[in-house]
Amino acid sequence: MTNLSSLSFYLPELFLIGIILLSIIIELIPGCRKYNYFVVLAGLISVAIMLSWSSTESVSIFMGMSVSDPFAIFFKWIFVIATFYIVLISRADNSLDKRLSGEFNILLLIVMFGLFLMVTANNLIMVYLSIEMVSIASYILAGMLKNDLKSNEASLKYVIFGAFASGLMLYGFSWLYGLSGSTDLHEISAALSGHMDQPFVIYMAILLVLVGIGYKISMVPFHYWTPDVYEGAPTPVTAYLSVAPKAAGIALLIRFFSSTFTTDISTTVSNIDWTTLVAVLSAITMTVGNLLALQQTNIKRLLAFSSIAHAGYMLMVIPVISVDARAAVMIYAVPYLFMNLGLFFMAIAIHNQTSSFEISKWKGLGSRAPLMAGIMVVLLLSLTGLPPTGGFIGKVYLFSVLIKFQQFFWLAVIGVINSVISLFYYFRIVKTMYFSSADDETVFKIHPLLYWSIISCVVPVLLLGIYWSPLINFVQHSISMF
Amino acid sequence: MSMSELVFIFIAALTISSAFWVVFSNNLIYSAVALLFTLFGVAGLYVFLFADFIAATQVMVYVGGILVLIIFGVMLTNQISESTVTQTNRPRLLAGVIAFIIFLMVAYISLTTQWHEGTVQTAEKTTTVIGDMILNEYLLPFEAVSLVLLAALLGSALLSRKQHG
Repeated sequence: MTNLSSLSFYLPELFLIGIILLSIIIELIPGCRKYNYFVVLAGLISVAIMLSWSSTESVSIFMGMSVSDPFAIFFKWIFVIATFYIVLISRADNSLDKRLSGEFNILLLIVMFGLFLMVTANNLIMVYLSIEMVSIASYILAGMLKNDLKSNEASLKYVIFGAFASGLMLYGFSWLYGLSGSTDLHEISAALSGHMDQPFVIYMAILLVLVGIGYKISMVPFHYWTPDVYEGAPTPVTAYLSVAPKAAGIALLIRFFSSTFTTDISTTVSNIDWTTLVAVLSAITMTVGNLLALQQTNIKRLLAFSSIAHAGYMLMVIPVISVDARAAVMIYAVPYLFMNLGLFFMAIAIHNQTSSFEISKWKGLGSRAPLMAGIMVVLLLSLTGLPPTGGFIGKVYLFSVLIKFQQFFWLAVIGVINSVISLFYYFRIVKTMYFSSADDETVFKIHPLLYWSIISCVVPVLLLGIYWSPLINFVQHSISMF
Repeated sequence: MSMSELVFIFIAALTISSAFWVVFSNNLIYSAVALLFTLFGVAGLYVFLFADFIAATQVMVYVGGILVLIIFGVMLTNQISESTVTQTNRPRLLAGVIAFIIFLMVAYISLTTQWHEGTVQTAEKTTTVIGDMILNEYLLPFEAVSLVLLAALLGSALLSRKQHG
């Protein structure tokens, strides 16, 4: 589709760019800076309205550079919700410098635009560019606390790992380009089918591409940056990184592998066995994430390892190349968004009061703040994957896909064992809250923004655990991909 | 061997050998100067592909701009010009062996693969073609790059600014 006629499919993105520019201008006008927060929130709502109006056709836009399809729109909803939450609660975090809140919001919106590009990318150039856009803005966000050495360390580590990973990914792209002479994902796929006799070169390219995308979703063995960056970055940023870029990475992985390395709906290109490769990586990812999470005493590090484990769960069904598998990942992403955000918001609330992220600070929460402690129990149940929560429904769909598809049955077994391991460290938090008496019996104070955000996070988690058919319907309508 | 082939081999050798120098030199200034030759060599390779505009841009942006900035950065930073940078990898032998195996693998694969054959390049005006492509086929990436640059600008201003108050 030509550039001009593509614009009508690009309204949410255009609105988003408008908000970015508007909020930069507002930052420059003296006396207007305090309105920036509300402008950004209103802007995000306008993007959401545009998103709900956007066409559900699957078309390629901007002369094949990008696509517009229901699959992408589904993930865009996740990004809009996550960004809205983070902008909303950034006010309630005491560690962030309030004078930099304008820059914080603008960078967050740029990350969000990068995520939009990531889930719609249909060309190697767009894939690379979108990953870089997300990364560069995230490096800065991770280093927002300039006086905090840990934040500086997080930013620097993120930059070095990120540069290395995208370098390797670009090298992989150059192999794909060398084989096909094209940067369009579908044309590459067509060219690769002619290389039946040379599987090594395609394996090499797949491995290198996996480095780049695996880094974004913190897949083992490219996860080394995750705990340090998650610990050092400002907590709202950590919460964002653990949800939105991870979902985008998974979406990109699905699109990339199903358009480039898959011939029709269920066979891999040139009989390349990348499915086993991804299955093994998924098993390693969730096992390493869960085992390392066992010994963490810092809530941010614990959630970092838990997010690695969850990346493993979502990767689990990608080797099963089918519509059901895609749907299962999408179903899982929704409760994951809410349960992770809710826990991070609680971590912010406790850090505001105690200036510490140690889990021991959660002691006695069961009696000091019964409602909040109860909500945390629900969120932790959901992360473990126990009923009656959304996380349980998500896991049921993931496992049912694997069990239906006999080839990767072993992966389902590993997944179940991992869920049991995760029960241990998630419930250590519950034990700390209910069975250890608090060191100080001060009243637990929580910023009202955080309070209502946490409550609004737990509602969908519980609701999806009891009445999940609307979500399933929505996913069924969003399944089609260009 | 024709004249152009000789020149090509000379430029390629210059690029690769100076790239080695960049990596192996212990002194940052030497590395920066060696990088100058590498970047010039790459510009030369572009000329061989009849990509004259890219070659000129390479010289202007990388050699003229970025490299000068790097050298300024090195020279204006206290003590960095005297200090030597050594990178020690603890299990050196193991790392070397693995790197060598990967090198052999990549070399084997790239030599045996039947690569896509592009069209033979001819000398023609490239600027019109590039301008046409940027505003048609590659409009979206072109515009997206501007937003990446905006983020980078904003971030560098944010991080380098003195803490106020």
